[in-house]
Amino acid sequence: MKKLCITFFVLVLGMNAHAQHTHEQSDSTKRLEEVKITAIAKRKIETELKMAVSVDEFLASSDNISFIKRGAYAWEPLLNNMSTERSTITIDGMHIFGACTDKMDPVTSYVESNNLSAIDITSGQAGSLHGATVAGSIDLKRKSTPFGLEKNWSGAYQTGFEFNNNQFFNLGNLSYSSDRFVADGSMALRKAGNYYDGNNDEVNHSQYNKFNTSLGLAYKTSPLSSVRVDAIYDRAKDVGFPALPMDLWLSRAIITSASYKQLFEDGMWRVWDTKLYFNAVEHYMDDTKRPENLVHMDMPGWSTTYGLVSRANLKRGDYSAEIQLNAYDNLSIAEMTMYPQDRSNKTMFAYSWPWVTTRFAGLSVNNSWDFSAVSRLNFGGSLGWNYNYSKYVEFNRIFHPGTPREKSRLLPGLHASYQLNVHQFDFSVGTGYGHRAPSVSEGYGYYIYNSFDRYDYIGNPDLKNEISYEANASAGFRNERMGIEAKVNYFHIQNYIVGRILSLGSPMNYQSVGVKGYTSLNHARLFNVALNANYDMLQHLHWKGTLTYARATDDKNGNLPFIRPLSYQTSLHFMYGKFGIQTSLNGDFAQENYSPEYGEDPTPAYMVWNISADYTFNFTNFKAVLQVGAENLFNEYYSTYADWGNIPRMGRNMFTSLKINF
Amino acid sequence: MVKGMNMKTLKFYTIVLSLAVASCTKDKTDYEAEIDTVVTEYDEFKEAVAIRSEGYDVSIEALNGAFYKGYNEIRLKITNSQTNEKADASAVTFLPIKTDAEGSKFSCPHLYDLVSRPDDSYFSGYSVFTDESSTNGSWELYISFTIAGRTYAVKQNVSVQEQANKNLNMTTFTGKDDEQYFIALVSPQRPKVGENELVAGIYKFNKPINPPSGDFPDLSQFSYTEVSGYTLQLDPRMPEPSMGNHSSPNNKDLTQQGDGLYHGLVNYTMTGNWTLNFIMLNQKGQILKGTVVPDDFTPGVEGVKSELHIDILF
Repeated sequence: MKKLCITFFVLVLGMNAHAQHTHEQSDSTKRLEEVKITAIAKRKIETELKMAVSVDEFLASSDNISFIKRGAYAWEPLLNNMSTERSTITIDGMHIFGACTDKMDPVTSYVESNNLSAIDITSGQAGSLHGATVAGSIDLKRKSTPFGLEKNWSGAYQTGFEFNNNQFFNLGNLSYSSDRFVADGSMALRKAGNYYDGNNDEVNHSQYNKFNTSLGLAYKTSPLSSVRVDAIYDRAKDVGFPALPMDLWLSRAIITSASYKQLFEDGMWRVWDTKLYFNAVEHYMDDTKRPENLVHMDMPGWSTTYGLVSRANLKRGDYSAEIQLNAYDNLSIAEMTMYPQDRSNKTMFAYSWPWVTTRFAGLSVNNSWDFSAVSRLNFGGSLGWNYNYSKYVEFNRIFHPGTPREKSRLLPGLHASYQLNVHQFDFSVGTGYGHRAPSVSEGYGYYIYNSFDRYDYIGNPDLKNEISYEANASAGFRNERMGIEAKVNYFHIQNYIVGRILSLGSPMNYQSVGVKGYTSLNHARLFNVALNANYDMLQHLHWKGTLTYARATDDKNGNLPFIRPLSYQTSLHFMYGKFGIQTSLNGDFAQENYSPEYGEDPTPAYMVWNISADYTFNFTNFKAVLQVGAENLFNEYYSTYADWGNIPRMGRNMFTSLKINF
Repeated sequence: MVKGMNMKTLKFYTIVLSLAVASCTKDKTDYEAEIDTVVTEYDEFKEAVAIRSEGYDVSIEALNGAFYKGYNEIRLKITNSQTNEKADASAVTFLPIKTDAEGSKFSCPHLYDLVSRPDDSYFSGYSVFTDESSTNGSWELYISFTIAGRTYAVKQNVSVQEQANKNLNMTTFTGKDDEQYFIALVSPQRPKVGENELVAGIYKFNKPINPPSGDFPDLSQFSYTEVSGYTLQLDPRMPEPSMGNHSSPNNKDLTQQGDGLYHGLVNYTMTGNWTLNFIMLNQKGQILKGTVVPDDFTPGVEGVKSELHIDILF
């Protein structure tokens, strides 16, 4: 299937100021470098407007990512308007699962922009390389400096201040490269207070404090092979979630891996890369700062994953392939301890994830065949085995009497696409079919409070696999001065998993109004369309625009929740010497197809205007960029369709940042 | 030099990482211990009282070797004091009598004619003590048995202890039919989160028609029976105000089974204080006791209990 390639940035050099190395699909394997087979765009982890962005802000600039926001931190990325259960989110192919039952810690919250080099977003079944999926995959690529650069040391330092929420950040990264040894290190600190909305009212509990550091060491064991160890440590503390009745006291993640890479000079095998990984996440909520809370509750969560990912690239003539083996074992634990008002009474205890083990093993293949000068066929598939084990299955059996403790599922996936490039036009059509297993919460969750619709959610271990049938197409035109591209995709998803009100049972969390159980709809349909265009009006004046629309309905033609209304982003970029000036406009039209059944209300249209200017200068061996700007310049008061509890977004935000590269 | 530094960095990070990996900030709850510590479990039959009478030893065994307020299963053994062999006894009867401070005498639900279990060499029965022994009242067991045509009668003071396990609580009440009823929980002694088979005994005091006569005890004054064909409707809820009248799904009302006891299903969604709200129906489906409890979610308000309920804790 066609890769909806938003390989934002493939350069291994990251933000370093080296001469830009382009070594995609390097035929010479003499030097050990990153070999990319499907690499299209190159972009740094920064948006047009802002050079110091968070991972979330960066993802937001992609046209098939939208976000559910519960505050200023840890946004949940939706791919093709589908929530994180339906996509695979990985870091260099490694599976990580958040430890929070309320999705306050998506995987993207455990990395930082200065230890990433790119984010690969693949839509639909074409993203099944990293495991079974419906919506697609988001792979966060870590920075890895190549061996043998001319300059041994390189690095960058970035600092800045955002005035709206007093965010102060310091990001630094340093790399060393020699013929046999490479090291990458980074450190990042962000601290922000409460932000203010468009009415200049403070949004309480929206502060955050994040520390992230990473280290990668690689050693060349032979001219064609290397070993690498990587680690990321991330800690978030005192993070407010204004849309939730509780905050985060502390979350920590340690993400480690050791890999071995072998290149081959001859034959069809090109690269073989095998990695063992381990990651552990702990997440502790805190409700003591909310006086409205009647009950004090401890809600800690832990998620531990061990895994193996082994990938081989093959190429012969016009044919190339990628084969990947994925295997992991995850243990998810989440507890609720409720304290009675009279503390002398006994505390009440339950598991919201009753020690649920998920094991997955799967083999995925992506093939691509350039069968003529203008056309290419991509096809592939995956077959996965998914196993769940609930240690304290008695919790699950309350709502599902007699449900088995263990469950195995087979998850097949297939996809194919055809690409045609004729002169300046390119077209593609594709199709896909794939299964996914229910997530831990959907299968085994127990009284997980959802503050959006204010229901307690109960998992169902007997849910059927969700089965996706998908079709997509794109058409584009490109010349030296302009480009335009339209993309559509359509998903028909059988056994679509949603929460439905249960007539039995009563809420456990005191804020909730009822109990919902995860059940399968007969089917649901999702349709996404995106239109992108860019035009270079003058040599130094560039325009870009994106228009997206999505529509999703359930089996009774009712609306599904969290579907983005018609939305747009448009930006102008002007450069003059060492000065640059950017302005952008983005917004959503009114959300008319909302879903009251899932707790949504209509959201009015909004439009936000942003502007920034930067100046680049050199001193001694350093290159520096200074940027000032404002987001939401007109201080619009708004909240989007996906803001929980309609919490208002940030009002006018002036920002400054300085980046120094050497 | 550079490499050396990096090796040091590597070592440093390895140590930091292993520390970080090894230690969680907060400990996980030891769930087994969580549900373990609360209840006193009675799992072994031990001798609770021994009586020697005219060449025979009568031994009554109960769980934990003690009698508690509530339901007590008993096993009675009779041995020949000389030979220490099992005596060939029959017609074994059992009657608990409580004497209060004023000297009035009462009994409690019990099985009068103990059932012979020849394979296990004991006689089986039960007693539902309605009070613990105290200065206001003491309990005495009246036992009789027949060996070789001769009837022996013995009595013995026993101590009834406070029920330490709230899951074996009991309640006494007068039904709408003006009869006195007793409901005693039998099982589970140690509930778990999830589905539990709930077993209770329901007993009725047979009101004497005539005043006491003859030698004490006059059995007609102390007659209790297991009621049959009743239904005990169940609505378990957490009374704690912060739980807002929380309940659980998939419970099953208690109905009588072959062992004479009433069996049903209760689901506990979490540990803590629970109230078993009951409505007792007779054979004709008429309510004898109990009220429907509200099922709305009322955070911050202590749950309303049925007029017929038993509190448990686990």
